[in-house]
Amino acid sequence: MFGLLGPNGAGKTTLQRMLVTVLAPTSGTATVAGFDILREPDKVRERIGVVTQASTLDIELTALENMNLYGMYYGIPRKKRQEKISELLKVVGLADRAKIPVAGYSGGMKRRLEIVRALVHDPEVLFLDEPTTGLDPQARAAVLEYVKRIHEDHGITLIVTTHYLDEAENLCDRLAIIDHAKIVAEGTPTELKRKISGGDIIEADFSNLPAAALNAIEKANFVLGVKKRDAGLTILVKNGAEAVPKLVTIVDSNGGKLRTMTLRELTLDDVFLEVTGRSLRE
Amino acid sequence: MNKSLAICLRDVLKFSRQPALIISTVVGPLLTLILLGSAFGGAITHAPIAIVRESNGVYSSNFIGILQNEQSCEIGGTNCQNAFQLIDVPDLGTAQQMLHEGLVKGIVHIPLGFDDSLSAHSKVIVTVTLDNTDPLSTAAIGSEVTQAGQQLSSLIQTSPADNSNMTFDLENAYRNVLYIEFMAPGTFVQSIMFVSIIAGGVQLVVDKERGIIEGYLVTPLKKHEIVLGVLLAGVIKSLIAAVALFVLAIILTGIRPMSIFPTPNPLAIGLTIFTLVLTSLGLISMMTAYAVRSTSADLYRVTSFPINLTLYYTSGAIYPLDGMPTWMKQISVINPETYAVHALRLLMYKSAGLQAVAGDFAFLGLFTGVMLVLAIIAFRRGL
Repeated sequence: MFGLLGPNGAGKTTLQRMLVTVLAPTSGTATVAGFDILREPDKVRERIGVVTQASTLDIELTALENMNLYGMYYGIPRKKRQEKISELLKVVGLADRAKIPVAGYSGGMKRRLEIVRALVHDPEVLFLDEPTTGLDPQARAAVLEYVKRIHEDHGITLIVTTHYLDEAENLCDRLAIIDHAKIVAEGTPTELKRKISGGDIIEADFSNLPAAALNAIEKANFVLGVKKRDAGLTILVKNGAEAVPKLVTIVDSNGGKLRTMTLRELTLDDVFLEVTGRSLRE
Repeated sequence: MNKSLAICLRDVLKFSRQPALIISTVVGPLLTLILLGSAFGGAITHAPIAIVRESNGVYSSNFIGILQNEQSCEIGGTNCQNAFQLIDVPDLGTAQQMLHEGLVKGIVHIPLGFDDSLSAHSKVIVTVTLDNTDPLSTAAIGSEVTQAGQQLSSLIQTSPADNSNMTFDLENAYRNVLYIEFMAPGTFVQSIMFVSIIAGGVQLVVDKERGIIEGYLVTPLKKHEIVLGVLLAGVIKSLIAAVALFVLAIILTGIRPMSIFPTPNPLAIGLTIFTLVLTSLGLISMMTAYAVRSTSADLYRVTSFPINLTLYYTSGAIYPLDGMPTWMKQISVINPETYAVHALRLLMYKSAGLQAVAGDFAFLGLFTGVMLVLAIIAFRRGL
């Protein structure tokens, strides 16, 4: 499973639209499932499933009708189509509501239906553009659960576009961070975290932080980086457990006063901040 | 009061930002004025009339000369043109066949002995057969021919006591057709046009606006498959509309197509349905060709309204083509609705056969083909 991560307007959706052959690249080309997107778009289309960011369901029609029409677009014979559809609807728990118009579905149900609709023709690659945007936490968890199961059961290559870091971190084997239409970092979540030299994060709040204390922290040999926040500092250190007592000593001896101190592991959020210079949720 | 002004200001501002809406409030009525006014204000001119001449002499030549020069003037105006376009036909049978197929609007039969009787100062009877499935033309042609006869009579009467003259036997070729019946076929065509506008290619524009089209585009559907599918759906929808209207018109307005009443004519009914199918194929192809490049459904709807009006008023649906000014006739020649209305009238009120409507079918078929190819070429398989 591959994740495309980036802030709004970074070019994730545009990239996906080019890969799924609905938008022609201004220059260059790409290969999807072994076929060139410009020279053999039909072969690509037969081998991919796509869930776009905005819903493309026909809400006047039932789940069954939506799925059936898609199966027909791919030219799947009727019997095989019906079997596949009922199997897929069961997978996402929509079998008992297959015969009501989609307009009456919740956001999460619609998204689940769209995901299985894209699987009707057994694609080799499934593209998911922001599959959980706009869903409440419960629906989000359910959708992610199904995505994971589909990946494990069918062995399909998944390309997920998201701006949720936890989602990317939990789901994806590999990630690329896109900003201003360029890949700024790429690798497994662990690799990416290691890219900023490994280590831990200490979040410290102070009731008093004299300039001398800040200076001493920045100069300490176990400190890799310091960022100022509203009420304190975010400090990147080599080894968190060892750094905490040292840091306390430095602050004390320079006349500063600590209020709280939290030690945590690096997250992709930190990586993201580091490579794009802005937070995802901005 | 100030608050009401705020509401008023909001409405006016929003209206002023939608130029298409402003234009359509003026364009529609203006088009109606121009097209309807020009159609109804015009006199029937150049009406094709078959002359069956069985008598050769100076009187019959005079009579034909008078008919040839007979002028027809627009209502309340001074613009006059030749009333008839005379066609010499060797025998009555051929002339009747031509009338049946809609090639001529009337037959003037100059009988054997016409010239002899007039030179012997006795009476003659000229039979005028009229295609009364077009009630407006019938009335005009009947009175023009009678006028021409009176003119000839006054020329050849040498003294008031001379009773050599002509009387006319005006015959209707069919049962009386009311104006509402004359107008009905155009209405069926218009219902097809409505469906073409609201349910034809516009679905593609709406899907594009709502982003739903992306759902098709990622599948292996080819562009001709998408366009043909839209077309087929349009034909089904417009046929339902046209047939429903047909039945309702028969029930509510009392129109009585000869192809159904009193005895149904299966061939004419079959050809009527075929005409409706062909017409909807043509009109939906046209509107799909137009819609596939439209970016806004609103703009598409606003602009298709004047297209609809123009095609309807210039099709001869409400007034005979012979009564239209030249510029309107020129539009009507390339207007697919003209051929549809023409074919439907022949089939419904004369139970005419395939031969009579073959020309209409040929035009509609060609038109459909061109528009379909255009729609497929214009359709862009991308966002």
